Order: sequence, then C-alpha cells, then structure tokens
Amino acid sequence: MRYSNYFRGFKVIFTLAFFFFTCSSILVFSEDDSEIKIGEKIFQGNCTACHNLTGYTKLSGRSVGPDLSGVTDRREIDWLKKWIKNNKELRESGDKDAIEIFEQYNGSIMQAFDWLSDEEMNGLISFLANPPVNEALIAVADDVSVVQEDEGMSVSTQMMLIALALATLLYLLSSVKNSLKSSMGQETETISQTVSNQTKSFFAQNRNVIFIVVIALIFLAKIGYDALLDVGVTKGYQPEQPIAFSHKVHAGDNDIDCNYCHSSARHSMSAGIPSANVCMNCHANIVEGTVTGTTEIQKIYDAVGYDPETRTYKQNYTQKPIKWIRIHNLPDLAYFNHSQHVSVAGVDCETCHGPVDEMDILAQYADLTMDWCIECHRETDVKMKDNEYYASMHEKLKDSLGVESFTVDQIGGLECGKCHY
Amino acid sequence: MKKEKKYWKSLEQLNGDPLVKKFTENEFLEEIPVDEFLSNKENLSNTKTNRRDFLKFLGFSTAAATLASCEAPIQKAIPYVVKPDEIVPGVANFYATTYFDGHDFASILVKTREGRPIKIEPNQSSVNARIQASVLSLYDSARLKSPIKQGNAVDWKIVDAEIISKLKAIKDKQGTIAILTPTIISPTTLQLIEEFSSEYGNVRHVMSDDISYHSMLEANKKCFNARYLPSYNFEKANVIVSFGADFLGNWLDEDYATQYISARNPKDGKMSKHYQLETNLSLTGSNADERIQIKPSDQAYLLSDLYQALLRNKSPEDGRIKKIASDLLKNKQKSLVISNSNNQDVQILVNAINKLLDNYENTLSIRRPSFLKKGNENSVSELIEDMNAKKIDALITYHVNPLYTSVKPKIFNSALKNVGLKVSISLYADETASKMDYLCPDNHNLESWGDANPRLGQYSLMQPTIAPLFNTRQFQESLMKWMDSPNNSDYYAYLKDFYSDVNWNKVLHDGYFEKRDLAVSVSDSDFNIPLFKQSNDNGIELELYEKISMGNGSQANNPWLQELPDPISRACWDNYLTISASTARELDLSNRNVSNGGLNGSVVDVIGEGVTLRNVPVMIQPGQAHGTIGLALGYGRTHAGKAGDNVGVNAYPLLKTSKVKLVKLDKEHEFAAIQLHHTMMGRDFVKETSLADYIKDPKSGNHRETFAYKNEQLTPDKLSLWKEHDHKTGHFWNLSIDLTKCIGCAACVISCHAENNVAVVGKEEMRKSRDMHWLRIDRYYSSEMTPEHAKKNKVSTIKMYKDMEEPSASPEVVFQPVMCQHCNHAPCETVCPVAATSHSAEGLNHMAYNRCVGTRYCANNCPYKVRRFNWFQYSENEKFDYHMNDDYGKMVLNPDVTVRSRGVMEKCSMCIQTIQQLKLQAKKEGRKIRDDEAKTACSSVCSTNAIEFGDANDKDSKVHSLKKDERAYYLLDHLNVAPSVFYQTKIRNKA
Repeated sequence: MRYSNYFRGFKVIFTLAFFFFTCSSILVFSEDDSEIKIGEKIFQGNCTACHNLTGYTKLSGRSVGPDLSGVTDRREIDWLKKWIKNNKELRESGDKDAIEIFEQYNGSIMQAFDWLSDEEMNGLISFLANPPVNEALIAVADDVSVVQEDEGMSVSTQMMLIALALATLLYLLSSVKNSLKSSMGQETETISQTVSNQTKSFFAQNRNVIFIVVIALIFLAKIGYDALLDVGVTKGYQPEQPIAFSHKVHAGDNDIDCNYCHSSARHSMSAGIPSANVCMNCHANIVEGTVTGTTEIQKIYDAVGYDPETRTYKQNYTQKPIKWIRIHNLPDLAYFNHSQHVSVAGVDCETCHGPVDEMDILAQYADLTMDWCIECHRETDVKMKDNEYYASMHEKLKDSLGVESFTVDQIGGLECGKCHY
Repeated sequence: MKKEKKYWKSLEQLNGDPLVKKFTENEFLEEIPVDEFLSNKENLSNTKTNRRDFLKFLGFSTAAATLASCEAPIQKAIPYVVKPDEIVPGVANFYATTYFDGHDFASILVKTREGRPIKIEPNQSSVNARIQASVLSLYDSARLKSPIKQGNAVDWKIVDAEIISKLKAIKDKQGTIAILTPTIISPTTLQLIEEFSSEYGNVRHVMSDDISYHSMLEANKKCFNARYLPSYNFEKANVIVSFGADFLGNWLDEDYATQYISARNPKDGKMSKHYQLETNLSLTGSNADERIQIKPSDQAYLLSDLYQALLRNKSPEDGRIKKIASDLLKNKQKSLVISNSNNQDVQILVNAINKLLDNYENTLSIRRPSFLKKGNENSVSELIEDMNAKKIDALITYHVNPLYTSVKPKIFNSALKNVGLKVSISLYADETASKMDYLCPDNHNLESWGDANPRLGQYSLMQPTIAPLFNTRQFQESLMKWMDSPNNSDYYAYLKDFYSDVNWNKVLHDGYFEKRDLAVSVSDSDFNIPLFKQSNDNGIELELYEKISMGNGSQANNPWLQELPDPISRACWDNYLTISASTARELDLSNRNVSNGGLNGSVVDVIGEGVTLRNVPVMIQPGQAHGTIGLALGYGRTHAGKAGDNVGVNAYPLLKTSKVKLVKLDKEHEFAAIQLHHTMMGRDFVKETSLADYIKDPKSGNHRETFAYKNEQLTPDKLSLWKEHDHKTGHFWNLSIDLTKCIGCAACVISCHAENNVAVVGKEEMRKSRDMHWLRIDRYYSSEMTPEHAKKNKVSTIKMYKDMEEPSASPEVVFQPVMCQHCNHAPCETVCPVAATSHSAEGLNHMAYNRCVGTRYCANNCPYKVRRFNWFQYSENEKFDYHMNDDYGKMVLNPDVTVRSRGVMEKCSMCIQTIQQLKLQAKKEGRKIRDDEAKTACSSVCSTNAIEFGDANDKDSKVHSLKKDERAYYLLDHLNVAPSVFYQTKIRNKA
C-alpha cells in the first residue's frame, strides 16, 4: 500500500516535470521557430541524400556523409558555416579539421552551398541544433506489426474427428451388446441385423431427429468437400525469409515502385526476384534500417561482399547467393506469364499479390488455383483499345457479339492449351 | 438337362499336369513361415516390437504420411548476386556463332535460356540434323572433364609444364612434331599452327578427313593446279547428273539442298532435271527425277562412255545414259555432273565432262572454291610410315580418331607406340585419345571462340554461348600456352586482333561476313583423260555410305541421333547391310516380321580383302542395285559413351574394299524400325504428278474424293455432321507441307525434339513402335502392282493387294512428314472421357497433360496415328538412362515446355509455346503479327522451305495463299476431319 502510494507520488511529480520541461522548451525556442522551419526546408531539400540526422530522418548513422545530429556541438558554428558554404575552399585553405573529415569519408565530395542566404544559413544551423521531433518516424516505430500464425486445428477437421469417433463408438457398442447376448445364451445378431433392427425402430420413433441428422450430415459433407478442395492451396503461406525483408518499408513507407526491383515483370514470364546488386543500388548508402537496424542489411553485404565501413566492395570475395523462399508456386504444368498481365493487360500487382505495401512479412494473397484464374478471366475485359494487335479481332467480335467490350474467355482465354503445354 | 461346362486355362491343366495342380492349389509357391515364427516362443519374446508397438508405428506412419502429403515442399528462389545485364530470367537470348567439327559446317543461331544453350537455329546457312543435335552433345556427361595424364586427372599446370618441357627437348634435338587434325577452316588456327611451327622448328601439320575427298582434291590439282574443291551452284543447273554423290544428304556442303530446291519450283513452269546413278538408295536418289541403279564399278565406265559421247556428239554405247547425254548436250553451261568416287582418274573424268560442257564458272567454280575438305591421304600414310620408322617424336592429335576411322587401325596402333610424346586434344576419351599420354580436353563448339572460312570470301565467327561446363580449354589456347609465350594465351584477343579490319561488334552480332578475297589463280594444265572399260567381274560389290543421323560417327553418343530413324530404311540404333531383294534371295538371306511387329533379319559375316566384319545384320532395301551391298559408317564405336558404345558395326576398315563375300550365320538380328509397311497400297497419302501434267492442269494428281448424295457428287466437307468452330475471328494457325520441296532430311525431327523435350526411349521400345517422336517422316516406295495394272491384266483382287505390299525393285520414293494434323473436326476430342484434349479457336488441337488419365482412346481414334503415349516415366528413370536421367543432359530441356510423365498422351502442339510467345510480343508492341516471324520448330529449320507456318486468316500470309493453291490437299480428305495441316502435291520432272 505504501509503496504504491509512493509510486503514485512519483508519477505525479514526473508528469509535472515533463509538462514543465516541455513548456519551457517551447518558451525558450519559440523565437527561433520560424527560423527552424526555414532550416528544415533547406535540410530536407538538400542534405538528406547524403546525411542522416538521428531522431529526425528515418535512418541514422553514417551515410555518404556523417550523421548530423549534434554537429553544432561538435563543431564551431563559424567553421560549420564556412564548410557548408564552400567546403572545397575551406580545405584548400589548409584547414586541418576540414581535410581530416574529407579523408575520413573517402574523399566524397560535398557540393558548395554558396547560394544560401544568411537567413537560410542561420535557419539551417538552428534546425541542426534543435531538430523537431519527426512524428511520422514515431508512428513507424510503433507500428511494427506482429504476425500471428494460426496453429489451432480448423473447425472442419475437428468435426470430422468427432464423426469418426462416433462411428467407432457405434461399432464397439454393438459388438459389446452381441458378446453380452451370447454370454447370456441369447441369440446373437450380426452387425447388419442389429443395424437394420435398430434403424427400423429408430426411424419409427425419431422422425424429427433423423431430419436434423440428415441436415447435419449434408452440412458436414459440405465442410469435408471444402476441406478437400483446400488441399494444396497455400493461400496465406508466409514463410520466414533468410532476410527479414519488409515490403511494407520498401513498397509502402518508401513508396518504391514494384517494377524497380521486380523489373522483369514487364518483360518476362517471371517477375524476377531482384539480384543483390539491385539491393545495393540503395543499400550502398542506406546501411541501417528502420525496423531491424543493421543486422538484416548486413546480410546483403555478406552476399555481395561489401564493407559498409569503407563503402567498398571486397576484392576476391566469394559471393553468396541469397536463398529466398519461394511463396508463389504454380505447378510446372501451368504456364503463367507476368508480362502478359502487367504490360499487355495492365493488371495492377495488388490484384493478385494483395496489399503488399502493408505486409512486413510477405504472404500469399491469392488462392493461385485454376478456379481463381478462370474466375478472373471470365470477369476481366481485354484491354483492346489502342492496341493494333486486337484491331481486326475487335471489329469482328463487335459484329458477331454486338457488344463493345469482351472478357478474356470470349477470346479463348479459357482454352486448356493457353496455359497448359 | 443341365450339363456342367468346364473351361481349361491350358492344355497342361486339361491333362492334369501335377505342377499345374500344385499351382492352382497354392497361391503362394513357397510356404510363408508364419507358424515357424509364431510357434517359436523364444523368438517372439525376444523381439522388441510387441503388437501394441506395431499398431502404434502403423498408426503413426499412416498419419505422418497423410500429413506430409498435404504439405508442399519448400521451394527456394535464388536470384543472381550480380545479374548479367543481357539476361532477363524467362527471356531467351540468341547468339550468332558457327558450327564446324571437321565434317559439318554451318553458321548458326543459338537460343539460350538463363545462360544455357537449348536450341540451334539456322543463320544464313542451313543446319542439318547432326548440327542441331550437337547442342545435346554439349551436355554429354561422357565428355572429358579435366586434363588426364596416363589415366589420372591432373591439373592443367602440370600437363602444360610437362608438355612444354618435352616439346623443348624435342626442339633441342631437332626432332619432329606432328599435328594431326581434320580439315581446319579457321584462318586464325592455321596461323597459330604456323606460329607453333616456327617456334618448334620441325612441325608437320597433317589434315585427314574421316570420309575422304582426297581424289577430288588431287584431280583438281592435276587439272587446274589448285588443290581445292569447287563450289557448286545447283540453282543454276538445268540438268544435274550425280554419280553416287548424296549431295542432298551428306556430300560436302549443307547448303546444296536449298540451292537444288530453289531451281525446282513447279510454279515457274520448269524444274531442273535430276538424274541419279547410284548403288545404295540415298536421300538424293530418292528425290531424283530419274534414278538408275549401277554397281560402283560401273561408274568409271559410264563416265567414260558419257565423256566420249559428249565429246564426239554421238549417242553413248550404254543405253542407260542415252537420255542423260542428250539432255546434257542441250544444257551446256547449265548442267552439272558430279561423282562420289574417291578415285582420282574418275574425278579427272568428271572434271573433263564439266569442262566439255562449259560448266566451270557457271554452275561450279574452281576459282572461288570451297575449303570444307582439305585432307590428304598421302601425307597421312607418310606420317604413319614415319611414326613406324621412329622419325616422329611427338604427335598432337586434334579432333581425330584414327584408331576408329582408319582402314587399318592396328597399323596405326603399332605406329603410335613408337612416338615419344602423345598428346590428344579432344572432347572424349575416345578410341584414340584413350591411348595417348596426355589428354587435353577441348571446349565444345558452343563454349569456344573461333572463326571459319568455309568458302572463298565467306567468313563466319564463333563465340561461346556458355562458360565451359568442365575443366576444359580450347585447342587454340593450348597451342598458345605451349608456345614460348605462356602469358600470351588469350585467344580471344588474338582472334579480335586478326579481324581488326572489320567492325568486330557488328560481325560478331551477325555471325558472318564477306570479304573480297582474291579468286584462286587457276592454270589449265594438259592432262590425259583416262578411259575405262566395263568390268565383267561378278561378285558382290560394297559401297559404304553415311547416315543422315550418324555421319562420320563423332557424335555417336548423342541419343537423339541414335534414335533418329534413317529416312530410307526407317531403322534406328543400328547399321546394317542393305541388299536388294533379288540378291538376298540368291544368298538365302531374309527379313521377317515377328509377332510383336518387330523386324528381324539374317546375320552375315562380311569378308573383304584382309578384313572381316563379324555379325552384320542384313536389311532388304528396295532400290539397292543387284549384286551390291551398302553399309553405313559411323557405328560400332567402343569408346563413345553409354548411348553410343557397341551400337552396330564399324565399317571404316572396309573403306578401301570394293568386293566382299558374305557368309550367312545361323542367327537373327532384331531391328528397331518404326515403319514396317513400304507402300501406300494403292491409296494416295502422297499425291503425285509429273511436271508436264502439272503445266497442263495445275490440279493434276489432286482430285478430291466425292460421295454420292441425292443424285449429286459432293466433296466430304459438304457432307459434314460437325458443328463448325468459328475460325474467322482471331488467328487460324495452319501448316503447309510441300512434298515437292521436302527431301526427307529429318532436320525438322531433331528440331522438334529439342524444342518440345521429346523423350528418348531406346532401341527396345523403338522396336515395339513406342517412339515418342511428335513428327515422323513417312517414306513410301512405289510398287509394280497398281490398281490400273491389275485391271488391265485381269489380276485378282487378292493377288493385287498381296503384290501391292511388295515395293518395286527400283522404286520411286516419296517422303511425307506427318505430325498432329490439328483436325478441326477432331476424332480424338470426341472420345476423350475427361476432355483432356480439346479444340482452340485458333485451329489447334490442345493437349492438357495434367488432365489426361491415359485411356488412350484418342490415339485409337486418331486416323493419322500421331499421338504418343508415355508408357513409362522417361525422365529421371534409370531404365531410360539418356539425357533426361543425367544432370548435365537435363540442361538442354526447354523450360517453356512440360516434361511429360508416365501414363499421359502427348503429341505435336504446333509449338504452341512459340505461338503464345509470338502473340505476346505483338501485343506488347501493339502491332499485328508479321508473317515472317511465325515459325514452328520444324518450319524454322527446313532448309528448302517445304514447311510453311502462319496465320491463314492473315490475307498477306504465305499459308493463306498456299491453302488456296491448286496443289493443296488434306491427308485422308475423305474422313472430313478438316485438318489445319495440309500438303502440296509432289511433282517430279519426268515425262
């Protein structure tokens, strides 16, 4: 009791202190508020390509250039201004610090920002000294969703097991009855006799029950049939990948076009899993992720042989391919071509792959059954407009069917040989 | 009165055989030791598994198996770490390169998928069956996988160091180094050998062709002072007279068929006239307008007679060639006389005749020669003599196999023992290579850089289409390594430097280019015209020949080629003596069909001068000259690999033998021949007419059958019970096969295999007619007996049909490629109980393997017998140990086509994968399909354009006009199955 009271007391004090602190900080820096806004704009427009700012940018740590958090404490403001204005001049003037940092970052050249006005420069410095809290970033950090796996037995399986148990029970009881009868010297019945006798009397006595049982059996049969249809359908398949790659971060938060990584989707039957060198286009600079930090990105570096410290590729490195687990598996007997659907039909990736931009761990969204394919082919109109290939076909179909648009199945999209050869 | 009937299963049962009684009483022949086990208490108690455990295990394993079957296996997707720019997974790349193995030459296009070559297409020159099949030889796991020193695999460094030091030692003592190669047409390789010679001083380069053109080269040297082969132009010749030269098959150059057929277009109103005088029935002879059977020994005499007749402008003494002489005289400058003889005097006579007819520089040119054969028999025998005399200190062999191909392998073998340093550069540890000290494995053509200069002014470049599969190194690089510049072993740089005067990237992309090389200077020298008299020798004469499939035998381990039926005999996995029916009767040799339909034949020993070939099967061959036999080269390999070893007999030792004796043995040989009927039995699967009749009436020979219906005669399509499909709206894929242009070369068959993953089934299955070929080329012989003949001579119907089965002794031959005809009233579709085969709106008959349950009703109901059933699992099955059961061999499979499994039906799909690809490409580019890009595997490789594929609904397409041609007809038209495949009548240029 006492302890909890103590705690409550502390809590109040803390809350008050926090409130006071927040208010005071607002009070102290309110005069610079507009200046910081100017600086933030400059920072976002010019600096983020090469610099991170811990707590403000999504990523932190070293990028092409150093992380700028606390830079105003590390350097003198005048020096910083000179460096930003024209770092080359500063270096050529023989400034020791300037040359040192230049070499530390492998001679990556930072452009001159001599066009910044004094106002803008001051704004930038104030922004760097007191970067505001990036609310978007907090939202991201809180939203690391946990994927749940359904490990329980499905309802239909349970029902089937119960039915099986009941049948076994029936059999056992009738045999017990028989053995009892024989031990009492009564005439035994075969199972079929028992069943027929019992059924007769049962039917006579329990018409309502029978009706209900029949209904229940039909219901059970339907469930069983559905369960059988689901064999081999891997909808929702969500294996753990060798790299905890998040489509949500890439396609969602960063809004990277699907085609950037899956470039062959437009040209080939296979959408293609990006080779590690495609990852490196960005991850040569982005060494730390928002969710998993450096551990997962390091796995790309291990594959290609890249040293994020020196930002160089290792010489004579034996590259190790990344062994992703394939989620969308069509059987070999079915031919599917991505480019037909993406380039010709203009189908959005989401149609078959679902809200990939919300998936941290990618899961199979569609059934990928023949039924599912055909369903879509029956409903989807062929994009005939402005495609010379379809021109004469379109004219003839218009004459014969008397409508303007045609679904895929109307031009032979359900024929066996279109997908099975 | 009821009488009990009794049925017996066999005579033995009726007779009450005690054994049968025992069998019927006991289901299990041996007692199952149940009692023994259960009565033995000790035994029972000692087992650790009690009944409850057993039931537990049973229950568990059943449950586990059930669960496991519901779980799909985890599949991995492994992308490149760094993807090469030019590769898009799923999209094929094509590279232009060159094929030359010393025997066949072609500029080729290689289709690669994800870096694996999977198919060879023609690029400028035509590609025969062997060249196409070479893509499978690339993945032959029997190839040498690393350098070998005296039987042990070693490192290149060791081999190089030892060879260099030994070569240097030889150089120091001024010894002789010999390099034995086939014909080399690569200018850079010749220059490298030259440089190698100057490095080591005493180097002798000897070229040797397995099938020699030595006499022809020597004759030209004597006549024109130019040791070259002339280049021929069959397109310009109005009259072609070939004495045994199989120029449409294997003689010299692949491109002759294209030239020959372009001069034989009946639409032009004229066709070249082709006479063939030959011993064996060759592919060329089968296509000839007139074929005359001669003994090999008659050739020289007939040529002398012809020469004198032409010279004196009189009729020849021999009646057989009267027409030839007069036709030739009428076509001076526009005729061509060729011979396959390897006798220098005969070739001089041929030269003299062509000269007399003023054909030089018109239909053939010695000033712009062909370089495809350069071998010199004299230098080869000189080399062997010197080896025997221990004058040769080192022998480097490159792609030659003298212990297999020479007439006297024993002499070569003993000569080899006298050579100090023996180095072999080859693909296989073959008959010769296995006897050498060092085996330096060469790259396959498709793994190599290179160049070729096949004809004057024509060049073709070779580029690798895959990194070497094994630890191999190409010949040129080895030569460079062994010269005193070990750092300078970059053959690619050398090659590029050699062609610094051309636009390298462009010619590498195109694959070939032309240069204005100076014509060869020719001096007409005086030479005596040798003349020959007719020999009166009796006795059996032998003529060796090459098969379309096996050629010189270097690709013997290629199962596609072994299983390719010979276009004439229709047999595969064999070579055999071909003999005429009359000669066979005289020698008491026979062929017969056994109960399973297989063909059996007598077996003989062939005894030549100093050579005896044992156990050679005999096949009766219509069209074989009386008193002669033929035998194919390229078989009887012993060091080829699993598929090629001990198939047939080696005929090379008989190369110099002309007269043989046959000794019949008391045994039979089992052939694997897939066509056992020889004639059309008076029906007209192949409709045929003569040029004269065609000019009078283009529809001649092509009259449709009609049916009487309500007082009128109607064609089958007018009496249809079928509901028609709509074939007007989209595409209507049709295939036209011109039987005038088809020469039966079987290039299309191999192309189909490569494109469609057709399985190899082996000799046993082939013998049972269980071949899996989607495309077959039927061959029919004419018969003396025809319905007209029977009517005229009042022959009874039974005798007529009996006689019709017998092919004529000198038959006319027709070839007919037959694949699925894609009937639009398909008999197969109506009988399939599961709708696994169904029709498409584009005129194709689809086959869904995954739906097929294997009833085989469709195959039964197919009038063309083109459906093939998978009796077994042909892939990944040790019983069918060919490329589909081999990790390397599987790399040749086309990833766009399903590999079929046991129990399903398959058939020609008209290359639906390429049709779909073609449509997709057009859709993506938003354009119509161009007629020239529509190709099936068979049509793309047809060097004579006999097979044309396209959209018959496209008014500008070739197929559209061919379909309306007067010559077009449907096979078995009277059935009204309305095929999407149609044929064009065969037209021969005869009176």
